[in-house]
Amino acid sequence: MIVILTCSLTACAGSGDNNAGKETGTKDTEADKGLPVMGDQITYDPNHLVNDGNPITIDWWVWASEEMFRSIADAYEEIHPNVAINIINNPWDGYFTKLPLSLQKGEEGPTLFNIHNSYENLLMNYIEPYDIDTKEFIADYPSAASHVKDGKIYYADYGMSTGMVYYNKKLWKEAGLTEEDIPVTWEEFIEIAKKLTKFDEDGKMTRAGFNYNNYFHAIALGLNYQFGENMFSEDGRVSQVDGVGMKKAVSLLTDLFEKYHVGDKDFGTDCEQSFYQEQSAMVFVWGFFVNNLKTNYPDLEYGTFEIPTPEHDTPYAYYRYNGEATPGINKNASAAQKEVGQDFMRFFFANDEIQIMLSREGGLIPAKEALMESEELKDTPIVRTVGPHIDRYIWPGAMPSTLENNMKIAGEDILYNGKAPDKALKNAAGIIDVDLANTDFTASENLYQYYEK
Amino acid sequence: MKQKVLKTTLFIVLCLAGVVTVLPFVWMVLSSFKTNGEIESLEQSLIPLAPTLDNYLNLQSNFDFLRYFANSILIAVLVTVIVVYTSCICGYVLGKYQFKGKNLIFGIVMMTMMVPWSVTIIPRYTMFVKAGLLDSYLSLILPVMFSGFGIFMMKQNMEGIPDELIEAARLDGANEFQIFHQLVFPLCKNGISAIAIFQFLWVWEDYLWPYLMMDSENKQLLAVGLTLFNGRYSTDYGGLFAATAISILPVIIVYVIFQKRFIAGVAAGAVKG
Amino acid sequence: MRNREEKGMFKRRPLQSKSEVWMRNIVMGILVVYMAVFLIIPVIMVIAGSFHQWNPLNETYNWIGIENYVRMFSYPTFWQSMLNTVIFCVFVVFFRVTIGLAVAYALNSKMTRFKTFFRTVFYMPTVTPLVAVAYVWKIMYNPQFGLIDKIFGLDINWLFDSKFALPALMLMTVWKDFGYAVILFLSGLLSLPADCYESASLDGADAWQTFRYITLPLLKPTMLFVVVTSIISYLQAYVPVLVMTKGGPGTSTYLSSYLVYDQAFKQYNFGYASAISLFILVLTAAFTVISFKVTGNKDE
Repeated sequence: MIVILTCSLTACAGSGDNNAGKETGTKDTEADKGLPVMGDQITYDPNHLVNDGNPITIDWWVWASEEMFRSIADAYEEIHPNVAINIINNPWDGYFTKLPLSLQKGEEGPTLFNIHNSYENLLMNYIEPYDIDTKEFIADYPSAASHVKDGKIYYADYGMSTGMVYYNKKLWKEAGLTEEDIPVTWEEFIEIAKKLTKFDEDGKMTRAGFNYNNYFHAIALGLNYQFGENMFSEDGRVSQVDGVGMKKAVSLLTDLFEKYHVGDKDFGTDCEQSFYQEQSAMVFVWGFFVNNLKTNYPDLEYGTFEIPTPEHDTPYAYYRYNGEATPGINKNASAAQKEVGQDFMRFFFANDEIQIMLSREGGLIPAKEALMESEELKDTPIVRTVGPHIDRYIWPGAMPSTLENNMKIAGEDILYNGKAPDKALKNAAGIIDVDLANTDFTASENLYQYYEK
Repeated sequence: MKQKVLKTTLFIVLCLAGVVTVLPFVWMVLSSFKTNGEIESLEQSLIPLAPTLDNYLNLQSNFDFLRYFANSILIAVLVTVIVVYTSCICGYVLGKYQFKGKNLIFGIVMMTMMVPWSVTIIPRYTMFVKAGLLDSYLSLILPVMFSGFGIFMMKQNMEGIPDELIEAARLDGANEFQIFHQLVFPLCKNGISAIAIFQFLWVWEDYLWPYLMMDSENKQLLAVGLTLFNGRYSTDYGGLFAATAISILPVIIVYVIFQKRFIAGVAAGAVKG
Repeated sequence: MRNREEKGMFKRRPLQSKSEVWMRNIVMGILVVYMAVFLIIPVIMVIAGSFHQWNPLNETYNWIGIENYVRMFSYPTFWQSMLNTVIFCVFVVFFRVTIGLAVAYALNSKMTRFKTFFRTVFYMPTVTPLVAVAYVWKIMYNPQFGLIDKIFGLDINWLFDSKFALPALMLMTVWKDFGYAVILFLSGLLSLPADCYESASLDGADAWQTFRYITLPLLKPTMLFVVVTSIISYLQAYVPVLVMTKGGPGTSTYLSSYLVYDQAFKQYNFGYASAISLFILVLTAAFTVISFKVTGNKDE
């Protein structure tokens, strides 16, 4: 009896809802939708039938911000009602563990998938280049120039993300600080941070002026530029993570906690969470923070300012930036699915509204340069704060994840395990360089306008 | 007098142990009624200051919790039923029959218990991917149909069944399948309870394999679903607590009901060496 | 296995009827096929794979001889993870057994009341999914708002202090799993023959002597079972690391199975991961044999 019951339950559950590739849904018969052509250099004319108007379903893999991507999919589905886009949310932790295997499944796997460029080497074998003229592409999206491979573009960026200092406006006021106190140098920064730090009667920290726990490695990678050193060697194949610049960067960061006590390694083990709970007055985090704050903590009043520098004069570079990668198209998908994918991506690149929304929600500087001047974006925190100096931020290239992973270990070894910074960094460099040698990564630092060796 | 002192000491020790065991649960359940802000504040109180049902109410809307729960129950029950059956029948053959190679087979079965998951997971992964069984429940059921642990327990249990009973049935003209299904199997209630609980628990909390094999959200299992609360940018502690609180309930209920049989079954199976 | 015939049971005779032969053939046949497919072949694949550069994503499978092993043995994190694993295993097994036995003994005593209640309470952690337990304890260990620092008035950053991180994981595991040992020892105690105790008390033995010279030796099979299954299970532990520390701070809480997971499913270095997992297999076998020898049984 039980066996029969369970068998019937399995049958029900087994006939899963995975519709990728199946043909159910509405048929589109209206080629002329009476809609205007959109875009500048890259144009998209919506007045055509996709897949001959036959119903088709494709899967789109994302690791976060499902609603944001859903709205883009909806906009496309409105134009082409025969297409159904299924968004599948796989959390970041295991996204790149599962994605490559799903891509192998071909038609049953995702047609579109979000990419992070630190995993480029895992995914390159599976990406189909965009069916868009490269020159047109670069004209609209200058940053795409660094993504050209054999004359084609496999994926590009839709926005640039970098870090800014976020500060809690309420706590600033409490400490008697105003807009004029916004620091430019690290020295000034330390003074401000000290004013914002609080201890109780037993000397235990109850509020951090500045917190970087869980972010140490992300800040250190890039801070080296302020001390005049590149992250990679001249040929771009070997890291300089144990170089003078990085050592100075690491030393600055550790001093903040250990010498100036504006934060503590044991206080607020996750700086972002700590900021949300108003237990840390300032944090240095990347673009997406804006969205998190808006969604989860809309009552928190915050401001932003640019990363401080050692001196008042312009440094070699302020910091690094990274591109938010555009979705890739699965090389192994069926021809029909790929047609839809290509059409969708052209729509994606040509549609300004979508690009503006992505940059606004993601706290990014739009990759489509023209949009930096747009009404909606010119006053966003990142465009306002970093925009003026964006030419002084370096893109190191699609750094493989080994750099972040090993810098994280080095950072923890230095802060928590009392390892000597020189030794920890040397260790990290050793492992990183072995891993780099196994990929064909070459740094893009030499594309920097003010590049020096 | 000495008796009384001893009695009270024992009771106190047990109570202390009980408190330590239960405290995290109590804290977790109480916290599931707190907002995330309260859970993470520097000032903590055990009882929620601003109790809320939101964590429970949002469970279904945010994470399709019931679906994961149902999926896990389905797979756990299915696998448990299969393993109980295979363990019993293998235990019967290995325990009651005498034939060449019996000890060899049993020995190999025992040795396979020692093989760590980290050894078999890579090849199994490759096998199932190549066979196209990714994202199918078959991938969760096929590799675990036989359990060395179960076979071992049932073989021991079988020792407790008098051979005379079986011989008598044979003399009466019953064939082996009838003997097993109608006579022996019903006698194993205790052993079955023991294996059932261990196996159910094991499937219920298995994480890595379902995580690797299952892609579609609507097929995902609970243990994996719980990790969804740990997003890239923030962890929803309240939701996690609520989900965990609910997910322990069925197993505790099953355990309470079958407790006595379970312990007797373990006694007959694992304990006699 | 010990010879059961000593107990005066019906002497086993070789299979006679056709029906018995069928039964044996079908059941053993399926069993053997299953083991071959899901256990023996995988082990062979892993042994072969460990000598290759194996990445399923770009379909590489190139012979590189013992390079993986050389790399493994010269990788400090590997040795650290092995050491961590052994320490983890030894301590957790020790505490699981002693606490389990102590509690079971207390529960078995005629002087205890509310037995069913206690039995349920102690088993509750065991029936909770490990992933959930790990998350809950991760929050409990938080230095700012976690339960542990608050209750004991401490200021330790458990999961980030290399002195305390591994012990923190061990504590959680013992809490979760001691119930299993309680149940097993309880069953063992319940099936001990009562007449032994009677003659012991007639001989004037006190509680401790009874325990040491009668109960303990009679519990040997149970003890062995608990120890062996615990060792096998803990040499493969990885969920606490995955959920709570990801190997940190630095690399101080890497456990060997987590290293395999990391190499196999994050870096897709299947060959290298295979080499590591084989080493774990050898370690497990060694520990199992040692346990058998120590408790005075012949090994399997």
